[in-house]
Amino acid sequence: MQLKLRMSASLFALSIAVLPGAALAEVSPLDLVQPIADYKIYVSENSEKLVTDTKAFTDAVKAGDVEKAKSLFGSTRMSYEAIEPIAELFSDLDGSIDSRADDHEMAEKDPEFTGFHRIEYGLFEKNSAEGLAPVADKLMVDVTELNKRIADLTLPPEKVVGGAAVLMEEVAATKISGEEDRYSHTDLWDFKANFDGSRKIFDLVRPLIEKDEAAFVTKVSANFDAVDTTLAKYRTTDGYQLYDKLSEDDRKLLAAAVNTLAEDLSTLRGKLGLN
Amino acid sequence: MTANDKGPVTNRRNILFGVGAAGGVLAAGLGKAMSAERRNEQVTDAPVSDNTRQRQPFYGTHQAGIITPRPAAGMIAAFDVLATAPEDVERLFRTLSQRIAFLMQGGEPPVFDDKLPPSDSGILGPLVPPDNLTMTVSLGSSFFERRDWLAPHKPARLSRMKAFRNDALDADLCHGDLALQISSNTPDTNIHALRDIIKTMPDLLVLRWKQEGSVPVLPPKPDGSHESARNFLGFRDGSANPDANNTALMDRIVWVTENSDEPAWARAGTYQVVRIIRNFVERWDRTPLGEQERIIGRNKATGAPFSGATEHDVPDYSKDPEGTVTPLDAHIRLANMRTHASEANLILRRPFNYSNGVSKSGQLEQGLLFICYQADLEKGFITVQHQLDGEPLEEYIKPIGGGFFFTLPGPLDDSDFLGRTLLEAAGHAVTRVRS
Repeated sequence: MQLKLRMSASLFALSIAVLPGAALAEVSPLDLVQPIADYKIYVSENSEKLVTDTKAFTDAVKAGDVEKAKSLFGSTRMSYEAIEPIAELFSDLDGSIDSRADDHEMAEKDPEFTGFHRIEYGLFEKNSAEGLAPVADKLMVDVTELNKRIADLTLPPEKVVGGAAVLMEEVAATKISGEEDRYSHTDLWDFKANFDGSRKIFDLVRPLIEKDEAAFVTKVSANFDAVDTTLAKYRTTDGYQLYDKLSEDDRKLLAAAVNTLAEDLSTLRGKLGLN
Repeated sequence: MTANDKGPVTNRRNILFGVGAAGGVLAAGLGKAMSAERRNEQVTDAPVSDNTRQRQPFYGTHQAGIITPRPAAGMIAAFDVLATAPEDVERLFRTLSQRIAFLMQGGEPPVFDDKLPPSDSGILGPLVPPDNLTMTVSLGSSFFERRDWLAPHKPARLSRMKAFRNDALDADLCHGDLALQISSNTPDTNIHALRDIIKTMPDLLVLRWKQEGSVPVLPPKPDGSHESARNFLGFRDGSANPDANNTALMDRIVWVTENSDEPAWARAGTYQVVRIIRNFVERWDRTPLGEQERIIGRNKATGAPFSGATEHDVPDYSKDPEGTVTPLDAHIRLANMRTHASEANLILRRPFNYSNGVSKSGQLEQGLLFICYQADLEKGFITVQHQLDGEPLEEYIKPIGGGFFFTLPGPLDDSDFLGRTLLEAAGHAVTRVRS
């Protein structure tokens, strides 16, 4: 027992020694009120835009206008992807709106496979809107419900601030490979929205740590800038090139940036004194 | 290999001589012998262990590998079974029993003419060591359902695993007619055993999926006490496991007994649950320590619950109804409420950590090869997993495979074989002859 105590004490000392910067900035909970309020507006704007865009998208699907529906797919998803950490708080809706085939044992054939990616599968893989009308109706119901729930939601500060890192974790774990939009290859639209959503949170709390954490703020900003510069190379007049146009070098650069941002932003909550 | 390859004698013999010599002289002599030994060691010499002769009994009321202390290396291999007629199923069970009996005992595989392929893969050498091997045979619901003559004898609660809320099951990593749990001191011993089974029964078994795993090895503690091994989340896993040395407890929690409504042939068997649970370890490593501990409900360093000092202290949630000490949605609290009623849901866990490679996104494919045993599948794992549905830990884990199986009763002696009671219950006459 004594041995164990001594060991954990020395481990503690070690971690302090390795992380001299772990002394956290002094941020009062009141300082967070305004950034959280501003973020709530950002989330509401996006969830309302999601409803509007999804209406146009699902209308095209139900009208059997495959080309129009395809052209709206990438942009419609962006407002969802930008606020994913909040949207995911409602895991039932996240499952029905944004689950992927490999979340289901019977993959594309699974009746539980619904939402954006089920429609994407029909439009891009089968080049058809056949049988998609009920899926489109359900998607519309779900995003409307999401918008309503978000309007009623009090945003927990730790979820908001933690969301900056969560977005990077999502990209790092399952998106950087192009698995997310595997039929349409519109992944770069999602990337852009995920990075923008993460940066929005960072920018909102940035004034609170700018003085005490100058090096951190500079490093994170530089990584966001690097991502923006890289993605800008793939811009088209109405959006982004397909994922398969992303060069191997740029893919690695984005992967490294997203991992570094995930590492750095994982300390953001702690730096702001949040649990 | 000739003596000239590595010097005149093997390392093992060197060590034995060194110890023997040191026995009669000062301890310093031992030190010298050991360091001389180290000087002679070569880069590709086999690592040496005193544990290769450890042996578990194959024969007994229950199969080995269930309440047997978990060794460092484990594997689940799931098969589709081709045998359909009773005679073929009998041949499957008898051959499996013979191979397992040999592999767990160890010995010399037969030597054939060298114009023929060898009888054994040879990866453990011409004398196969037992190395603490156990091989535990279990059957999936499809094994019964696909054979009309066996369907009526399916264990009452055996079902095909259905996706739970957080599951993202990969059909290529799920289910199977027959599951083999192989565990021993070393991964190579498990692989040797698997290759033996595959080579011996190609007409009866087709490999469906497999998952290997490991358990971190700890140095012995001076006071002889044990602590639970850690999983790939860095937390102790198994602190609340029921005491496997308590026979009455095992009869209640693990084994099907005459007190249950299961078919009589299934007595002394148990339900096995296998789950391949991916852990998002990069993300976990980027999660604040305090949050990790709140998600699990234990101190990470010691394994103690928040209301205790050691991992074996039992939390009393009746004194913490609001979850101010242990959050109401902490993993250990949801899994086991520690009430009188929740005792009906106890399970015996026997998991291994797995590490497979790199995902498409460049992240580590690591996690837990979760294995547990219980007398009642529904009151056990299924109930516990439903209690865990929605837990905060879900953000960091994703079950991707596994299955539900029924572990056969043990073969009583060398005239018996695995699955005999099932065949007899189905009206297939078998003879018990000493092999």
